[in-house]
Amino acid sequence: MHFDLHTNPFAIPFTIGCIVMFAVLAYKYVRWIYRLPKSDKRLIRKNLFSSKSWRAVCEAISESLLHRRIFRTNPILGYMHMSLAFGWFLLIVVGFIETVAYMGWTPIPLRGHVFFKFYSRELEHSALWQSVFTNIMDALLLFVLSGVALAWLKRLYSRMMGMRRTTRHVWGDRVALSALWFIFPLRLIAESTTSAIWHNGGFLTGSLGEFIDKTLSFEAIWHLESVSWFIYALALGVFFCAMPFSRYMHIFTEVPLIFLRKYGIKSDVQPKSFDHFQIEACSRCGICIDPCQLQRDAGIDNVQAVYYLRDRRYNMLTAEVADNCLMCGRCAERCPVGVDILQLRQNSRYTLHNSPSFRRYNYLQGVDTSTGSGRVGYFAGCMTLLSPRIMNAMERIFKAANEEVWWADKNGGVCCGRPIKLTGEVDAAQEMVKHNTELFTKHQITTLVTSCPICLKVFKEDYNLPGIEILHHSEYIDRLIQNGRLKVAQNSGKYTYHDPCELGRGCGIYDEPRRIIESIGVLLEPTETRQQALCCGSSIANTAINDEKQLKIATSLGQTLEATGADSIVTACPLCKKAVKRGSRLAVLDLAEIVADNLK
Amino acid sequence: MKVTVIGGGVAGIQTAIALKELGLTPIIIEKNDHLGGKLCGWHKLFPTMTPAEQVLTPLLERVKALGIEVMLSTEVTSIDSDGVQTSQGRIESAATVICSGFDLFDATLKEEYGYGIYDNVITSADLERMMNNGKVALADGTQPHRIAFLHCVGSRDEKVQQRHCSKVCCVTGVKQAIEMRRWFPKSEIYNFYMDIRMFGAGYEEMYRSAQQEHGIQFIRGRISEAAPVLNGKVQIKAEDTLIGRPLKMTVDLLVLLIGMTAGQSNKCWTRCAGITQSDSMFLKPKNMFAGNVCSDAPNIFYAGTVTAPKTIGESLNEANAAAMRVAQYLGRL
Repeated sequence: MHFDLHTNPFAIPFTIGCIVMFAVLAYKYVRWIYRLPKSDKRLIRKNLFSSKSWRAVCEAISESLLHRRIFRTNPILGYMHMSLAFGWFLLIVVGFIETVAYMGWTPIPLRGHVFFKFYSRELEHSALWQSVFTNIMDALLLFVLSGVALAWLKRLYSRMMGMRRTTRHVWGDRVALSALWFIFPLRLIAESTTSAIWHNGGFLTGSLGEFIDKTLSFEAIWHLESVSWFIYALALGVFFCAMPFSRYMHIFTEVPLIFLRKYGIKSDVQPKSFDHFQIEACSRCGICIDPCQLQRDAGIDNVQAVYYLRDRRYNMLTAEVADNCLMCGRCAERCPVGVDILQLRQNSRYTLHNSPSFRRYNYLQGVDTSTGSGRVGYFAGCMTLLSPRIMNAMERIFKAANEEVWWADKNGGVCCGRPIKLTGEVDAAQEMVKHNTELFTKHQITTLVTSCPICLKVFKEDYNLPGIEILHHSEYIDRLIQNGRLKVAQNSGKYTYHDPCELGRGCGIYDEPRRIIESIGVLLEPTETRQQALCCGSSIANTAINDEKQLKIATSLGQTLEATGADSIVTACPLCKKAVKRGSRLAVLDLAEIVADNLK
Repeated sequence: MKVTVIGGGVAGIQTAIALKELGLTPIIIEKNDHLGGKLCGWHKLFPTMTPAEQVLTPLLERVKALGIEVMLSTEVTSIDSDGVQTSQGRIESAATVICSGFDLFDATLKEEYGYGIYDNVITSADLERMMNNGKVALADGTQPHRIAFLHCVGSRDEKVQQRHCSKVCCVTGVKQAIEMRRWFPKSEIYNFYMDIRMFGAGYEEMYRSAQQEHGIQFIRGRISEAAPVLNGKVQIKAEDTLIGRPLKMTVDLLVLLIGMTAGQSNKCWTRCAGITQSDSMFLKPKNMFAGNVCSDAPNIFYAGTVTAPKTIGESLNEANAAAMRVAQYLGRL
């Protein structure tokens, strides 16, 4: 019996690769966790031995190994990722069991497991064991190879997997990628050559081995064997060395990310250590590129989530990339890893632009131009004030519902703070939040209605308003109709509805506007709707693109909405209304307008 | 030889007259049921305060006297190298002159000014119509005491895709302010502008007299929004950028000086080879210096505001230039 790990030094590159990889991984993870804020560490301690950990394990299996979310994007793409991740994982696990089955529980170095076929070639073993294990291992290898073949195909024709565009990779990623692509074909060749000499292969390596045996001379096969195992070990070594520095960092990082996320740790408006887990869990798969309207309509191709995360990871993030984003959330909706892209971008902007200057907002003190005295407060927001038709409609609706209203900003008020928050000036935004909070509390309102989803989002996220229910006017109007306080007349109008990003993906409000429209006329849905709805292009979150590009996005949205065959477009955001109007010849109306115009 | 003239505004009429005088046979195709185009809606013309009909009537008489063929209520649907297709059938011609002019900016697109929502927000074109009808008043029939003019509505404004300067609105604002002073001698009149561009002969003098003799206030700053207040008045918010302070003002009447936008039909014309639109969507002349009235197609010519905002005098001159080029092309010169 021979199981000699020392005579042939071919595995050295592999061993070096493993040492480098595990050392870097350990360094990174320990550092990141060590630097977590106390509150985050408390969350870990609290939840470590709870059912959350178990749920994290389940999610890790379903996402890191099986890639269920990618299957939803495209089944072939999902299979490709699953065969590589899950297939490789099984090769390692079954390979380990195989070693134990042969050797018993004797500790052997890692290379003994990985290159077992080579080291065990002189071992004598029962025919049954051999055929069971070698055939299972061959099947798994075939499984992984099918994924590699698909990955090659994807390079040539990504549309087959539902991707119009794929990521442009950096140099380091290309090295790692090439190494990865060669690992499994090289393994096939190495094992088959060994099988050619020792006849220890299964249905795949065995048959290929026989073929090699027949075609090549004995001497050539001996040379081929030592060379192919060396190159295979080299490919593994290169891949492992490159892994922690390349996109493949996601392979391991997604797992702690899933656990930490399950424990309730989130990214914040200010950067923190947890962000590293999110940033390095990005696999640069590029699924976020296609949904980005800056890419597909405005031809901007260096700011998408994948490029933003890459630039941030390698410390080469520029304001131009950080600021050039509509923050519409279409990419986050599709991200298979569930990276909280919007919050990360928000905190990059904080780093870039936050400049606390508290004297700047001294003039806010005591500003109160509100009128009326109802328990229901109405905050129009700047954009509604610039859209008098909406304002007018809301007045008619309140009147029809017999609601006594406190008008927060009819005569001009203080901004809700979200626009400046989105630029990264979080401290300045806080000044406005503070001011408006005092105003709302002072007037003792119990309900706060706003027509602007941008204001709505910041009221819900950043304002602490105990005892005040925050409603978008779509929710409020829907409630009035359901309660019978507002009666609307049916007409034969055909409407299509544009989901504003901040209202839909931002606040999860999809049904109320639709219910209101259906109580008046026919609602026609565009192809991309609800969670997949398009952005109008005029988002306040993007301070980098010019008007021309905004218009291109609006025009493309306009075409999608016109394709429904509707007579008019309804939306529920004053900014969207203005933007969509620029991109379509149809009438563009706010929800409040169609309600006010069809009151009974 | 037959020449089609598309559009019966001042440019089209003058082109036809000049062509006829050069011995050609023009035919004017006009989509409305009368000739005269936008000029029919104007009251007095800057900077001389000449009544618009003093310009239009002689033109129309000349058309009649020369026996120029006119097709009214007819729309041109397409242009090609040997004629045009109209709603009344095909017209073969040796050359075509496009004089389809401009469109007035739709002020409802600037919703923040409340046009079409508040009663006492009107456009400069509405004001001309009121003056033509002999009655300038607020919606409730009373007289305005405080009037504001807002320049550059739909001009030099990226947000509504009108980057160009419409050129004539500044002087129209000055002219209308003076006219309002004559209608309402005791009123306060304010003009809100971002730049005052007095490019023509006599314009600057008119601007100066508006300030010195007619007591019209000019405030540098665009109005940001208008809101209704009691009694149908309008509250406007602006910034006086010369003193760097925001201001609020309640006015009885807000007049929006709407700009000239490229004609809707321009897009249709570009389907014909040799005709292209510039970024502003006006048609692009072959050459900005020596070929202002020429297209890239040898037998298609332009006159008037189809290529850019122009005054009436400039449009009339271009009409003559276009006719000359047509005659040259047809070998009549």
